[in-house]
Amino acid sequence: MQGRVIMHIDVNSAFLSWQAVYNLQRGYPVDLREIPSAVGGNQETRHGIILAKSIPAKKFGVKTGEPVWEAKNKCPKLVLVPPDYHLYMKCSSALMEILREYSPKVQQYSIDEAFLDYTGMEKRLGPPLNLAVRLKDRIREELGFTVNIGVSCNKLLAKMASELKKPDMVHSLFPEDIEHKMWPLPVEKLFMVGKKNARKLQSMGIFTIGDLAVADPELLKHKLKSHGLLVYNYAQGIEDSAVFPGYYMPMKGMGNSSTIPFDVEDTHTARLILLSLSETVSMRLRYSQSCCSVISVSIKYSDFRHRSHQQKLPTPINCTMDVYKTAARLFDEAWDGSPVRHIALRVTSLDRDDYIQCSLFDRPYRTKNLALDKTVDSIRNLHGTGSVVRACFINSGICASLGGAGSENWPVMSSTL
Amino acid sequence: MKVLNKPVDMIAVFYSSGRVEPVKFKYQDTPVTVGRVLKRYSEKLAGNRRICFICINEGAKVYELKYEVDTQVWYLFKM
Repeated sequence: MQGRVIMHIDVNSAFLSWQAVYNLQRGYPVDLREIPSAVGGNQETRHGIILAKSIPAKKFGVKTGEPVWEAKNKCPKLVLVPPDYHLYMKCSSALMEILREYSPKVQQYSIDEAFLDYTGMEKRLGPPLNLAVRLKDRIREELGFTVNIGVSCNKLLAKMASELKKPDMVHSLFPEDIEHKMWPLPVEKLFMVGKKNARKLQSMGIFTIGDLAVADPELLKHKLKSHGLLVYNYAQGIEDSAVFPGYYMPMKGMGNSSTIPFDVEDTHTARLILLSLSETVSMRLRYSQSCCSVISVSIKYSDFRHRSHQQKLPTPINCTMDVYKTAARLFDEAWDGSPVRHIALRVTSLDRDDYIQCSLFDRPYRTKNLALDKTVDSIRNLHGTGSVVRACFINSGICASLGGAGSENWPVMSSTL
Repeated sequence: MKVLNKPVDMIAVFYSSGRVEPVKFKYQDTPVTVGRVLKRYSEKLAGNRRICFICINEGAKVYELKYEVDTQVWYLFKM
């Protein structure tokens, strides 16, 4: 695929700068991006990790993913703001709307990243680098936040380019620049090389991306299996996947989880939480016109021990009560009675739901239950998720549909280009 | 001018052409008639659309009104 021009647009510390701009719009006197600040969960309800941080907070050593109390220890003046996923979705869609003005092929890669295929647009909109600068400035003026844009001939190099130096910059990384721009970087900066792979590579004497590019592919294959060849190709800038318009990724599974504000010690409450998660998961399942054949439940105890249990079902399901019944049984089998702080429910092995094989052992009233779910779904779509709730949640203090952040449609991160 | 960003009750005209014109709002329980609109523009910061009006009343007091499209709330933004 010679002659392609691909841009990768990446919002600089997305959650934090979106919140900062929104606050400024509402007349807040300080810009969160200029003081040590972070977007983080609520410590009282124990959702306590840092999701995004400002550049001044980074100087204090605050890291994404660390507990709020640890960050507070490092930087006592840290200003914390709670996450607001609806705002993020709004910012994200506004960004995509602007990008779609420049090319019909825009792939939303995650909530704050997108690929834009600029091939063939040069005649109309000018050279790619000039446009990238204009685009970056327009986003800053119009939407108030800054982005990094990487320009190259494939998605991988464009992504690597946009990560070169931040914030508010345009970088190009064409094959002829790989040697002096990408090869001197440490190997863990390469897309798809994580902490564990980096350690393995370092033990083989590979410290920079350049080292990886000249390594022996056979040896890499032996040590890292097929992933070794993938990163070997990536180190040379070889990648040729197309920009899929819209958001495209075949889903393998879906799940929801929740950290509970208190420790769960009795079966009744645990069941309520499972039911609440089942509501969210099976609603999403039906929304994507799928059904699942594997259900798994995982439990995190208050002492952070972890246990999970799963079951393959004889017939695929997507009915809330069916999902809940299985999940409840799995939970009972897995739970040792200790206090629980976090429960997750996940469904995998998805299939289309247009034809579902019935079984002699199906629960009675299956068709009636499906019709009920369909009706409840359409009411909820029209009037909000809280419009119809099960009576058992009344006065229970537990949300009737737990889990989910409003960002289900776009993953926060992804590993497939 | 000081930033207030206070939601206010507003009487406004929404013309069939799509133009919006603020007419009268309530500030601290007193009705204020909007004098002259000096400038109008729309902003889309953080993807949140607001139509902004810089207005002036007799006695040369400049203030800023904003209409948030998504929530349909009027704000007295600056005074």
